[in-house]
Amino acid sequence: MPEKSFFVDIDCFQQKKHGQNTFGDCFKSKRFTDEGRLLAVLSDGLGSGIKANILATMTATMILKFIEEGKDILKATEVIMNSLPVCQVRKISYSTFSAFECSDEGEIKIVEEGNPDFIHLRNGVVLEHKPKIVTSKTFTNRHMHLYSFKLEPEDRLIFCSDGVTQSGMGTNEYKLGWRREGLIDFVEAELRRNPAISSRHLAQEIVKEAIRKEPEHQAKDDVSALVLYFRQPRKLLIFTGPPYRQDRDAEYSKIFDDFDGRKAIVGGTTANLIARELGREITTEKYNKGMLPACSHMDGVDLITEGILTLTKVLEYLNEGYDRWPDDAAGRLIELLLDSDVIDFMIGSKLNQAHYDPDLPLELEIRKNVVKQLEKILSGRYIKKVNLKFI
Amino acid sequence: MEESGKILLELCFGTTCFVMGASKLQEIEQYIPPQYKNKVEVKAHTCLDLCKNATYMKAPFVKLDGEIISEATVEKIIQAIERKING
Repeated sequence: MPEKSFFVDIDCFQQKKHGQNTFGDCFKSKRFTDEGRLLAVLSDGLGSGIKANILATMTATMILKFIEEGKDILKATEVIMNSLPVCQVRKISYSTFSAFECSDEGEIKIVEEGNPDFIHLRNGVVLEHKPKIVTSKTFTNRHMHLYSFKLEPEDRLIFCSDGVTQSGMGTNEYKLGWRREGLIDFVEAELRRNPAISSRHLAQEIVKEAIRKEPEHQAKDDVSALVLYFRQPRKLLIFTGPPYRQDRDAEYSKIFDDFDGRKAIVGGTTANLIARELGREITTEKYNKGMLPACSHMDGVDLITEGILTLTKVLEYLNEGYDRWPDDAAGRLIELLLDSDVIDFMIGSKLNQAHYDPDLPLELEIRKNVVKQLEKILSGRYIKKVNLKFI
Repeated sequence: MEESGKILLELCFGTTCFVMGASKLQEIEQYIPPQYKNKVEVKAHTCLDLCKNATYMKAPFVKLDGEIISEATVEKIIQAIERKING
């Protein structure tokens, strides 16, 4: 990666309308690591529940697929705008959307149709952009707002569904809802308090605050916030498993120690060999949390956990997707993973024969396979850049 | 024996030991009879690296003042502590 390379950290947090069992907003995104670009769409389906979910999912999926297939973002979204049906009862579009395409250099193209205008914050100040407006040829009341500009390091963009800006509407305090102004004040205050907050946490805070505006804290609509943060990448290195060749333990331990970013060791034997090579002490917590072995500590390392059981659990949790990760070693590792943008794995290929003892009460997965599945979900669903190195 | 004069009980929380029963040993301090409690120091390890060596028999392993106990259970460990203290 070139020295000056930046990272587009995006994440979306959503809350369903109270009483519904499915989301009526849909967020889809895809990162093309090789091409250094990222696509994202947030769509809000009319109404709530299953119908809204289908409309929003269809819209978001189609826009993403079109752009992915090489169509220009303007062309892709125009096709969607012109073809989205109108609700016979309400005479309004079946779904609204915000879509953007952003390069690793910060060149961004944004298209919005019907969603609240995005917010662009630079050095604590909101920048207003004049959109180019494209009107639909088939539905004259439909307009797309197009924007194209270059992001500066530390810039933030906030996209949301109207569930955020209209939260609290009708209450004495927020007769017209929280509104864009209220959201801006909140985000500015959050950034003053925590200037380096990740997109994931900021999106969560926005949604939680919006719901606090509602009577009895029950969401009256689907509430989604999508945050983009253009910043220096947060790097994480995970060393898991002893190297195939023992005579290279020292070399790899040094690479691990010299890494410029956060570090985690996943595996007891691995932790021991690094401690030995670097001449450091390990202390292990005496009590486990949950069903996994306890974490350990060593100077210069952010987290040390057991190996394959923890990795398998991490994969299980990520597949499940919790609002709050369980308070065990796997939950702690996930916090570290999701708070990072670029994740490097150093995977030792040495096998521990004892793990293949048929008397073991459960079958242990093979490390290599679990890490490969982790790579898939981290780069797919969680939009991370993941590099694997087998050693 | 520890510098403090206590017996050192080392637990292994490596994968093999953990699945073979070490998960049940983490509460060992509760089962040490009151009269021996302040005579035993319990320490956990990421891995004692014993499962890789077939000569040590079966996991879970613990070390009591450096002496390896294989297929360790709470009962086995308590008996070993009693033997150590009472000679």
